Amino acid sequence: MSNFTDPSKFLGLVVTLGLKTIKLRYKNSFFGFLWSMMNPLIYLVIFSFVFGNVFTEIDRYPLYALTGLVFWIFFSTTTIQVIESIVNSSGVLKSINIPTIALPLAAQFASLISLFLSLVPFTILMLVFGLKLGWESLLFLPILLLYTCFTFGASLILSSFNVYFRDVQLAWASFMPAIFYATPIAYTSSLIPEKFLWLLKLNPLYHFIGALRQIFYFNTTPSLMELGLLLALGIIPLMLGLWVFNKLERGFVSQY
Amino acid sequence: MMMETKKEIIIEAKKLSVSFLIQRHGINNIKDFIITMGVKSPFERKNVLRDLDLVVYKGECLGVMGRNGCGKSTLLRTIAGIMKPDGGSLTVNGNVAPLMALGVGLEPELSGYENIKLVGTLMGLSSKELKGSLEAIVDFSELSQDEIEMQVKRYSSGMMARLAFSIAVANIPEILIIDEALAVGDLGFRQKCARRINEIKAAGSTIIYVSHHLDEIKNICTRAIFMEDGKVAIEGDVDKVCEYYSTHLKRKTPPVATILP
Repeated sequence: MSNFTDPSKFLGLVVTLGLKTIKLRYKNSFFGFLWSMMNPLIYLVIFSFVFGNVFTEIDRYPLYALTGLVFWIFFSTTTIQVIESIVNSSGVLKSINIPTIALPLAAQFASLISLFLSLVPFTILMLVFGLKLGWESLLFLPILLLYTCFTFGASLILSSFNVYFRDVQLAWASFMPAIFYATPIAYTSSLIPEKFLWLLKLNPLYHFIGALRQIFYFNTTPSLMELGLLLALGIIPLMLGLWVFNKLERGFVSQY
Repeated sequence: MMMETKKEIIIEAKKLSVSFLIQRHGINNIKDFIITMGVKSPFERKNVLRDLDLVVYKGECLGVMGRNGCGKSTLLRTIAGIMKPDGGSLTVNGNVAPLMALGVGLEPELSGYENIKLVGTLMGLSSKELKGSLEAIVDFSELSQDEIEMQVKRYSSGMMARLAFSIAVANIPEILIIDEALAVGDLGFRQKCARRINEIKAAGSTIIYVSHHLDEIKNICTRAIFMEDGKVAIEGDVDKVCEYYSTHLKRKTPPVATILP
C-alpha cells in the first residue's frame, strides 16, 4: 500500500531528507559549516590548557584529546538529532504515508555526512599534532560502521520512547555531560583506580573510542577479542533498537 | 441496483475500528509502559471509528460530510495508510495520494524549486518521475521563474497553496484524498483546481472529498456519505445526503428566537 515498498525509492527518501537537514543547518548563516568545528576546537583548547599540564605523561596530548573528541561529538550530535527526528516531523507523518523509520535514518545519514566533512579539516589539524597514518588506519571504516550501528540503535530506542514521553529528549541533554566524563576522552583509563576500571568498561563508548584511538593515536590494531566485542556492541543495540521501534511504532500517530 | 454491483470495488471497509491513545498520567503508568514495551500502557484507547462499513467504487467521487470530530480525517488517514485499523478489515486497491492539508512538508527556508523536489519525494515520486513532471508542476502553479527560486517563507499563503496543490496533483493517482484543503487561493486558481480534479476524475481515478461546502460536494461528487460518531450514518445520492446534512445540523442549533429576549 505504501509508495515506498520499492527500495530505491525508500533510499531516495532517506537521502533527500538527510541532505535537506544538512542544507537547512547552515542556511542563513555566514560561516555555516565552520561553526560546527568550533565546539570541538573550544573543547580542545580548554583541555589542552587545563589538562595538558596535568596529564604530562600523555604524549602529544592535543592529538590524544582530539581523537576522542571528534568521535564523541559524532555520538552526542547523532543521538540528539535522531531522538528529535520523529517528533519534529509529526506534521508530515500524520499527513503523508511515509515509513516512519526514514526520519531517524535520515538524521543518522546527515550526521555521518557531517562527520566526514569535519574529518577533512580535523585530519589536517591532527597531522599538525603528530598523527601518523598507516595501514591500520584503514580499520577506521569497519569500526566506524559498528560505532554507527551502536549509536543508531541506542538513539532509535530513545527516539521511540520520546514520541510518548518528551521527557526523554530533555533528560538525555542533561545526561550528556555525565556520559562525556564517564568516557576517557580528556583523560586516559590508566588514571582510573584499578577497582573502578570495570565500571568504565561497562560503557560501550569506552570500547569504541578506545579502538579508534588505538589506530589513530597508538598506531596499533585492536586485538581480535576487542574487535569481536565491538561487533557485538554494534549489532546487538541495533537489533534491540529496531525491535523496540517496531513494538512502539503503532501508537506514534496518536501522539503527534 | 444491478449497475452498482457490477462496478469494481476499490476501497472496502468492513466493521472497521480505529482508535486513538489518550494519555493518562502517573509515574507507575510510565514504569509499566517501559517494562511491558507498550503492552500495558498509560494510555486510554478512544475509539474514533466504530464498526464502520464502507464501499467505494472505482472511478467515483465520494463526498464525506459530518460534524467536526466525527472521524472524517481519521477515516481518510486510515485509507491513506497513515493510521492502522484496530479491528475489522480495510482493503485499498491502489496507490493513494493524500492531500490532508495543503503545505505539509514544505520547508520555509528552501526555495520553491527545492521544495518541489522535497515534497515530491515525500509523496513517493522517484527522481525520474520528478524530473519528468517538474515543468508541469511549475507551469500549473503559475509561479514566475523569480518566485520559484525564492525561499518559500517569502511566499504569500495563496502562493504557498498553489505550489503545494501543484505538487500533489502533478501525477494522476489511483485514489486522491482531499481533506478540506482547497479553501485557499484566489478564484482563478480555485477554478483551475476544480478543473484539474475533473481531469483526474476523467482519467478514471477515485476521489474522496471532505468538505463542509454543500456546493462543492454537489459540483464534484457523484455519491456522498454523512458520518456520525465514527460510523456512516447515511449514504447515497449527493442531494439526499446534502439535504440530511443541512436539516440535521440545523436541528442542533437552537432557534434564534429562544436566544433573543
